[in-house]
Amino acid sequence: MINISDLNVRIGQRNILSDINIEIEDGKWTCLVGPNGAGKTTLLKSLLGSLPYSGSITDNGVEVFKNHDRNVAFVPQQPQIPIGMSVGEYVMLGRSKRDGWGNETNQSRMMVSDVLKLTGLFGMQSQFVSLLSGGEMQRALIARALVQEPTLILLDEPTSALDLHHQIAVLNNIELLKERGVTIISTMHDITLAAMYAEKIVVMQEGKVLLNGTSDFVIHSPELKSAFENRINVYTLDSGRPVIVANKDLTN
Amino acid sequence: MIKNKSKGEESGLAPIWNWKITAFAAALLLFVGILAISFGPVSLSFQEIIRTLLGLPGGLTGQDRTLLLDLRLPRALLAALVGAALATSGAVYQTVFRNPLADPYLLGAAAGAGLGATIALTSAGADLRSLLPVFAFFGAISAVMVSFFISGKFFAEPNSLLLSGIAVGSFATAVQTYLQQRNSSSLRPVYSWILGELTVANWQVVTWSSIYILIALIILFTVSKQLDGLMLTDEEAYSLGINPNKLRVIAVVAATLATATAVSASGLIGFVGIVVPHLVRGITHRVTNRGLLTIALVGASFLVLADLGARTLLSPAELPIGVITAFVGAPFFLFVLRKKRLVSQ
Repeated sequence: MINISDLNVRIGQRNILSDINIEIEDGKWTCLVGPNGAGKTTLLKSLLGSLPYSGSITDNGVEVFKNHDRNVAFVPQQPQIPIGMSVGEYVMLGRSKRDGWGNETNQSRMMVSDVLKLTGLFGMQSQFVSLLSGGEMQRALIARALVQEPTLILLDEPTSALDLHHQIAVLNNIELLKERGVTIISTMHDITLAAMYAEKIVVMQEGKVLLNGTSDFVIHSPELKSAFENRINVYTLDSGRPVIVANKDLTN
Repeated sequence: MIKNKSKGEESGLAPIWNWKITAFAAALLLFVGILAISFGPVSLSFQEIIRTLLGLPGGLTGQDRTLLLDLRLPRALLAALVGAALATSGAVYQTVFRNPLADPYLLGAAAGAGLGATIALTSAGADLRSLLPVFAFFGAISAVMVSFFISGKFFAEPNSLLLSGIAVGSFATAVQTYLQQRNSSSLRPVYSWILGELTVANWQVVTWSSIYILIALIILFTVSKQLDGLMLTDEEAYSLGINPNKLRVIAVVAATLATATAVSASGLIGFVGIVVPHLVRGITHRVTNRGLLTIALVGASFLVLADLGARTLLSPAELPIGVITAFVGAPFFLFVLRKKRLVSQ
């Protein structure tokens, strides 16, 4: 269980996050949604423990920035692509925390090989990561997170640069992590996809939490529309799935 | 396409670093080193050199012995130390700044050392010439420190550190030019120092520079495996168990210590810091910093060989070693670059 209480993050003179209080359940997929600048990425970085914050974020009762043994995978929205590094080496970096830097075991090599097959990257292990397409790069990132065997994975917009086909492929790969009992926290622009995959949705606006609950509850709350200045409409398909689309009517 | 699949390798993954390459580089350095102390205006017998070095009977005597032990050996050792220092620092700077064009003189170390050396050479009154290495060393260290403090944010914004390094470098160069203009008699010694020279090599220089350079290199080799994490974003590095800011400071401080020592012992020898890391990475197809030791060994071999050229090509006159490194290094570098297209990948 991750417990966030009275979380405040300031960068320079700006309050990026103010008075966040939420609980995140283990083994579930929680999705952070909201307009650009709402503080979603900052909240992810705070959960990683790499950002100075006031208030408290505890993971299983231990304050996150104090716990260096915690194994958390982080998938950034814009990864830094290491020039000249092969896909195999890149995914192998995920074993560094468990094996110690540069001491990967034979077992780890087998695991990397298996995960490359699982994510459809086997055969590309000698290729440079800089030559991968957007969809392949995203899968390489997920593969690295898989071999890290984390207890928690944080994903920043894992689908934003992808076409619909690759979005589904990547989201299904993320579900593989959930099947292994990993807690998933991601930000996502597409609320329809968020509702389809995540069990919990947290709606953020201007550094505050506006709504927090099960996907079903959040999607059908009137406050969701106000978070997006009433510029969205929620429809329900015959199957019961909600679909969120932009509202073209500018008079709202 | 599965390349380099070795026997018994079931994972289908090529090894991240092949330590046979490192062993080969070490053998290369040994070979080049023996070559360098054998050749010169006076050729020494290979057998006698080995006997002298191992303290066996039948070694060199008289002038030849002095030539070997007091001139050629310290000079080859200094060339190896400086080459290793510049190549390793260059590779580390390229990783830390995520910039393939970074070189060890990036943060103003060269200009600072140049200013320090110029002050020593142009000082009126006291003869500070013998203190030139000390002045160059502190010049280099101060320039890098000023760059750090001006940038304010340290590594929060690597580009602001680079820009302040450029500004500090330009400022130091301007002061240096002014001093040279006021003391035109010093132009020639300053100029020859800027081109790099190993003629000052003696056991005293080798001793003090080896202490600093070896300390710096040991630190860098110790953290070399973690340095790969700095090729990722800070959050990714953090999630993989690295404190990126701390690691960057350790790496840059050690690389700067090595560079400042190299510059103060031998002047400004260009191109080694940029050509050798790319050469090793290009040939091995590996960008990992596990290759740092190999880069150091190849850098050492490169400079020992360049110095051999500097001593013998126009014998008995000497060419500045910086001319050789650039003259040979630039075309060879371009050849590798075109072949491997490493920068674009």
